[in-house]
Amino acid sequence: MHSSVTSLAAILGLGAVLLALPHALSFSQQEILVFLTINVLVVASYRLLTLTGEWSLGHVVIMGVGAYASALLSKRLGVYVPVSMLLGAVTAAMVALALSFPLFRMKGFYFLIGSFAAGEIIRLLWKRFRDPFGGPKGIKKIDPMPDFDIGIYAFDFFEPVSYYYLALAVVGVSLWIMWRIERSPVGLTFHAVHWQDRLAEASGVNVRAYRTLAFVLASGFAGLSGALLAHYIGTINPNSFDVEQMVFVLTWTIVGGTATFYGPILGCVVLTILNEIVLREAGFEQMRPLIYGLILILSVLFMPKGLESLVRGALSWQNARKKKVGETQATE
Amino acid sequence: MVELLAQTGLNALYAASYTALVAVGLVLIFGVMGVINFAHGELFMLGAYAIVAVYADWNLPYLVAVAVGMTFVGIVGLGMERAFFRPLRDNPLGGLVASIGFLMILQALVSMGFGVRMEHVPPVTQDVIVISEKVRLPVFRLAVILAAVVLLASLWAFLKRTRFGWALRASAQDPEAAALQGISINQTARIAMFIGAALAGVAGALTAPLISVNPHMGHSVIVTAFIVIIVGGIGSLEGAVIVAVAYAFVHTFVTTFFDGVIADIVGLLLLLVVLIVKPTGLFGSTDRA
Amino acid sequence: MAPPVLEIDSLTMRFGGLTAIDRLSFKVERGAIHGLIGPNGAGKTTTFNVVSGFYEPTGGAVRLRGETISGLRMYEVARRGVVRTFQHSTLFAELSVLENALVGTHMSFPPNIFAAMAGVDKANRRAARARAEEALDFFGLSGLADELAGELPHGHQRALGMAVALAARPDVVLLDEPFTGMNPEETGRMMELMVKLRNTGVTILLVEHDMHAIMGLCDRITCMSFGRLLAEGNPQEIRHHPDVIEAYLGGARHVA
Repeated sequence: MHSSVTSLAAILGLGAVLLALPHALSFSQQEILVFLTINVLVVASYRLLTLTGEWSLGHVVIMGVGAYASALLSKRLGVYVPVSMLLGAVTAAMVALALSFPLFRMKGFYFLIGSFAAGEIIRLLWKRFRDPFGGPKGIKKIDPMPDFDIGIYAFDFFEPVSYYYLALAVVGVSLWIMWRIERSPVGLTFHAVHWQDRLAEASGVNVRAYRTLAFVLASGFAGLSGALLAHYIGTINPNSFDVEQMVFVLTWTIVGGTATFYGPILGCVVLTILNEIVLREAGFEQMRPLIYGLILILSVLFMPKGLESLVRGALSWQNARKKKVGETQATE
Repeated sequence: MVELLAQTGLNALYAASYTALVAVGLVLIFGVMGVINFAHGELFMLGAYAIVAVYADWNLPYLVAVAVGMTFVGIVGLGMERAFFRPLRDNPLGGLVASIGFLMILQALVSMGFGVRMEHVPPVTQDVIVISEKVRLPVFRLAVILAAVVLLASLWAFLKRTRFGWALRASAQDPEAAALQGISINQTARIAMFIGAALAGVAGALTAPLISVNPHMGHSVIVTAFIVIIVGGIGSLEGAVIVAVAYAFVHTFVTTFFDGVIADIVGLLLLLVVLIVKPTGLFGSTDRA
Repeated sequence: MAPPVLEIDSLTMRFGGLTAIDRLSFKVERGAIHGLIGPNGAGKTTTFNVVSGFYEPTGGAVRLRGETISGLRMYEVARRGVVRTFQHSTLFAELSVLENALVGTHMSFPPNIFAAMAGVDKANRRAARARAEEALDFFGLSGLADELAGELPHGHQRALGMAVALAARPDVVLLDEPFTGMNPEETGRMMELMVKLRNTGVTILLVEHDMHAIMGLCDRITCMSFGRLLAEGNPQEIRHHPDVIEAYLGGARHVA
């Protein structure tokens, strides 16, 4: 009872901080905050994909599928933007479902290369077919999110703060859903498939169906994040979803660590703050790929379990200390 | 029509020559070290920039520039081996991810050193062998093809005839047994990495005068090399050479009769089909899978 | 007479040129503890892999209560009531003991993602948990429910492997070398557990090297050699069967 009250208080506190946060930032920092919020959804969905043990190099392209689908649906067919975003997510999930048939015949390293190839094919299709994808220049003047008023707050989507609140709500709900899935028997089955797929299958688990499920769900959320991105920046092209972006996602995820739900989110937030404060302020912005590459190598070498292992280490150290304090008090 | 086919065939042969060099290097590294070097395309790019620096900017003879590029990229390969492939020997996925990180570093360093714009290298020779009115073979392309053949033949001789080559093949087949034979894994890894990287570097150096050189040129190279080594059966040098030639022909012909992007899509579809049907590749054994 | 619960009918398995199982036939009666023995390389584990659906046989059939199950995928075989354990301690080492057993309840309480998101699967989760705890209790693992499976001592890991299988409420369990690496005391305890398991109505087919355990435990024994059926009978008959002695001891018995 007590712990649920504290965790509720913690969540409310975090919510208040997140709501107040943009008002303490400059305009350009607010814009970065929007990207950060969207990227949190990308890495969290990437972790969902890795739950069953497969690492994909096509995740950012799947995110792009959501972006392209939502942009085209709203621009060409006049679909109401919030609806087109959801349809973008559904499209990304459907494309992932179609790709799962060839891809899940492979495992591990072959899956990695296969997903890379599949992603490249999609990117080449965007490049090749000017109609409807706009070729190498992509899609411009994507419809913005329509303004609306919910009584207590009037959303004006040319303001990053408004878009931030929208993204925060969408990402918050998505994270909550992913969290519920992971803590459910479905999530347990994902873990089982990851650690011992043969034993899972001997227990009656349709391993391939569960791998596909994780892949499709993760792709749906990635597609949603892509749609959020597209209607914010207004322009997308095949290079918005290239290998370099995938390296960023990989870096955030690996630096954060995939063992826990919050690991990749932590990696994304910490590296983004590092990037903005250290690199941009110091005028090293164009060194970002270099720094990310270096961080990626160093974390694979020296921190294979990610930042969250440091947090967990600190927590268990603290717990051990508390316990010790408790014991000494008991003996007194 | 016959002339168009002949001309396209000559173009394909040229594409095959540098593709084979890149792919063979990648396979050699994978065979001995069990890791996929994602930064291989960037090693090719480094080789091309060696030409930009040594030949175009410093005006040294082209062959000197090629030798410098080859050696320099080989040394970069040694550095990669020492810095992350060796510590991550038991973690091939980690090695792959680290090489992705290294790819970013190389791109960034070259962008900072040379700028991101395209570099054009002055032609080494403008001579053309006129076979018929519509079939022409530039001498430089012929030289690239011959150089690739010579390099691959020397590699073959090195692997089959020398003690080092024997050690390399032994540790590619069974690292533990090789270690019991007194073969140093670190040493064979160093040799494989040096040769593999140098082959990518020389391929970049040889093609630099014919293509536009830029920091992101490695991407299409690595995509092609992946297709070739996986279709060929990862770990099979012969498979890599055969598929490199076959793929270059398919790609060049599709490019000529349709367009380059369609050719890329065809290649990637080919890769997916092979991965699905026979993940060990057309010429691969099941040992390493 | 009731049909056998499991019938292996002229089963053949070839890998390239190698014939691992050669027209093997035997039947497992309901409620029996049935041993499958044979010298190394006789094809016992391959037989297990075919019966459990890990391999598709080259020829012949495996029938469960008259229905052909050979060629089905492993999870499809499991869903028909045949659940296997693996050699060594194959477990979800990174999950807790209770979570391991919960995976075993997968078939009885299939997870539903929509119910899980909406939070309307509480009853299902409770029932799965009760089933998992029951299985742990059966093998004396209740006190270890929160430990990581990978950190258990060897004997407990073996018991947990069987608990995961039991949590699925199987009709038939296939146990692959359950006594390997156990000391005599642990083996004795494991034998008691198997009898207890059989008494709940589960049919057991096991592959094992430990002759002492096999002879003391099994109602019926099938002996294989080079992929073929060598002999079948109760422990007494097998113990004195000349072909079995020959296969196991070769020429050595003359020396002895």
